[in-house]
Amino acid sequence: MQTETEIYEADRLTLLDCDKIKLSRTKSGFLSLNYDGREYPRIDATRLMPFYSKTTYISLCYENEEKELREAGVIKDMADLDSEQYRVLEEYLSYKYYMPEITKVYNIRDNMQGSIFVKTDTTSGEKTICVKDWYQNFRMLTDDYLYVCDAEGNKYFCENIHKLDKKSRSVLEMFT
Amino acid sequence: MKLKIKLPPDGRDVHFSLPFGFTAQGEKCDGVFAADDIGIYIYTDGSLTAEYRLTDFAEFRCHRMVGTSMAQGVSENGGETAFCGFSQDMFLRFAEVMKLLEHYVRTGELITDTGEDEPVCPKCGMPLEGGNECVFCRSKGSVMLRLLKMIRPYRKYFFAAVVFTVISQAVWVFVPYLDRVLIDRYVTPKTDNVHGIAVIALSMMTLLAAAGVSDFFNMKNSFRVALNLGKDIREAVFEKSQQLSMSSVSKRTAGELINRISNDAAKIEDFVTANGKDMIVKLLSFIILSTLMFLINPKLALLTLLPTPFALILVKKLEHIMHMNYTRVWKTSVAHSEKLHDILHGIREVKSFGREKQEEERYSRYSLAFTKACIRGETMWYMTQPFAYFIVTAGNYLMLYFGGKMVLGEALTLGQLVQFTTYASMLYDPINWLFQMPRLLADASVSAGKVFEILDERSDVRDIPDPVRLEIKGDIELDDVSFGYRSYDPVLKNITCNIRQGEMIGIVGHSGVGKSTLINLIMRLYDCTGGEIRIDGVPIGDIEQHSLRSQIGVVLQESFLFDGSVYDNISYAKPQAGFEEIIRAAKIANAHEFITKLPDGYNTKVGNKGFQLSGGERQRIAIARAVLNDPRIIILDEATASLDTQTEKMIQQSLAKLTEGRTTIAIAHRLSTLSNADRLFVLDKGRLAETGTHKELMEKKGGYYRLVMAQRQTTKMRAAT
Repeated sequence: MQTETEIYEADRLTLLDCDKIKLSRTKSGFLSLNYDGREYPRIDATRLMPFYSKTTYISLCYENEEKELREAGVIKDMADLDSEQYRVLEEYLSYKYYMPEITKVYNIRDNMQGSIFVKTDTTSGEKTICVKDWYQNFRMLTDDYLYVCDAEGNKYFCENIHKLDKKSRSVLEMFT
Repeated sequence: MKLKIKLPPDGRDVHFSLPFGFTAQGEKCDGVFAADDIGIYIYTDGSLTAEYRLTDFAEFRCHRMVGTSMAQGVSENGGETAFCGFSQDMFLRFAEVMKLLEHYVRTGELITDTGEDEPVCPKCGMPLEGGNECVFCRSKGSVMLRLLKMIRPYRKYFFAAVVFTVISQAVWVFVPYLDRVLIDRYVTPKTDNVHGIAVIALSMMTLLAAAGVSDFFNMKNSFRVALNLGKDIREAVFEKSQQLSMSSVSKRTAGELINRISNDAAKIEDFVTANGKDMIVKLLSFIILSTLMFLINPKLALLTLLPTPFALILVKKLEHIMHMNYTRVWKTSVAHSEKLHDILHGIREVKSFGREKQEEERYSRYSLAFTKACIRGETMWYMTQPFAYFIVTAGNYLMLYFGGKMVLGEALTLGQLVQFTTYASMLYDPINWLFQMPRLLADASVSAGKVFEILDERSDVRDIPDPVRLEIKGDIELDDVSFGYRSYDPVLKNITCNIRQGEMIGIVGHSGVGKSTLINLIMRLYDCTGGEIRIDGVPIGDIEQHSLRSQIGVVLQESFLFDGSVYDNISYAKPQAGFEEIIRAAKIANAHEFITKLPDGYNTKVGNKGFQLSGGERQRIAIARAVLNDPRIIILDEATASLDTQTEKMIQQSLAKLTEGRTTIAIAHRLSTLSNADRLFVLDKGRLAETGTHKELMEKKGGYYRLVMAQRQTTKMRAAT
């Protein structure tokens, strides 16, 4: 339940002072936070704009006693954290947002039933990605950024398809 | 589902063992998660690194993150322990293991017989969903074959079209023969047999007239087949979109569905009109003309046909490229339709935010992308077309050279050569047509594929064979009901309660707690993932969906009024209702008075989405619509939430009349709205936390009490500011 103060402060963006942040990993798989002496035993970190920036505007949320989600605050730029804190947060975010990057596209087969099979090289090895409803799940978020969600819910990305080799670009051309 | 995928490296005998790729702390590893009836064993990179006793936990769950998920145990005091992390392809298996382990610690029963995996397509790995053939890996030919099968009801007209085309083609084949007779009998010998020439001219004229008549009947029948086929496809897709469950329909935007119903059906219609019968006729023409040419002179015929195999290879090569191009055209066309629908649907928001200019630009971008995709496809095609035409007609030049030599050497008459060259040019027509096929076929098969994709989709809420048509009284039982829009992510957990006939139940709780989900389950817009709902003792899954929903009246927060009159909108729930019934319904809903003030009374058009009426008037029409069918169960989902206090009071009076003697389930954020409820159900985190009357729950000082207090505080603060 929201307290009186929380209701009034709901519209305020609480930017955290990176010098006061102490994050650590817990056995629950989440993080714990000590911020300026206040303890948050279970914190989930979220990239507020995951497609635009991976290290800025990181929201730290916790559940209150009523099991309602509350935001402890937002880290404006992870670069302001000290190296150890940066490492802890970066490791957690890399795990949470684990997403192999597509580095090469060999071919794309369209079965004419809404699915495509994309043979790729990714940062996690060679993989044929089966994409169902491809016009929804194989899409360009910007002119450069390709975002793929496969039939099993795994996600892949390519930050800039124009930096791929010529063959990959020509294979992708028809589908992007 | 198979839950023993990768065995523990030390050979331990376990019931479940699954591979994972991340440690509990999120480091990459090669691990095995194993569990038996005593504990959980975590193996990382070949060795046992952690061991847990099942009895230390009260709950097991999977926490879905973005790129990964983790398996966790929760102890009695709420302490969480992460066992491991894994990629999303393992999620369903881990979720199943967690469910079974939790069932074991709750009941002492360990279910280990989890069966095999659902059969999957060996080619793409997608589930076969009860069929023998993978809908994703069917050959391209089968799509077109299926399309042809849809012509069956119109085969009479189809064959008539084929017969008239054959007649017309036969006439055209006979004309060169008359040319040959004219040249060899009357022109070359320079006889003065004018009578013979006149007979030939008259014959030609008669034949051409016959061809014209045949063409007329051919087109008449062709159009009849194509237009009916288009109608059937449009209706089938529309019917299917009505039958599919909410989860299937909500996957697609309205724009995309409209595109499939209208544009894709129209493309197939065009294809059949232009090419349906041509497939048979052109093939026949090719066979007949080739045979005639071989009969006249086999050597020349061979020369003429020499380039054809090369053209076929090119056709095959182009087929894939054109398919890709047309898929792109389709994609941009859908995006364009979706955007158009989106902008027009939200026209009020566009205007109120003054975003017309930006929307114009946004629409132009989509329109331009569509145009560019079309230009690209057509350019690609017309770039290759002249070259392909050259290959196809190359045999003509060889034939002319050698044919000319034969005429000079008197091995062939001039008339025969003219007949031959005419046949050759006629033969290039089916060959050229064949060459056009990749483009035509690609365009039509992309659309056919998209249409069949919808037609083949299985609704996840289906009637059983011989469902019960129940005369509902209004008793509702929820027995250990759990539900998640994704089966592994429950929104409602173990809800058990009874709602008696005629009782009014208020459902309260925070946003996102599962209130609307609960009523969606009672309406069977979705099926429970666990437990059972019974209406008058009959499991909801056994009741015919139409019979169930026709006896439930629903009033939502924003009721949708169809474009039509007030009368049409009220009678929507019961089209056969008499005029008096409709007025009675309107009176119960306190709508009659304002309707009488409308210029055309009950025949007043409500306009697009009822925008000519106020919010309160629209709600009252929705209530009249709900009451008309005399439903036994009434569902009110925030029916008065968007109205001002005065209108709400008026609507409350209408609702009180509506709910009299009927089982009513109402959701409202404004708790005062539920003051007349017999009992309140308080949902918290997907569970039924409290039940009781307002008084009982206030005395209990639990979740409901806190909700009421918070709301009072907010009201006070608002009043103070």
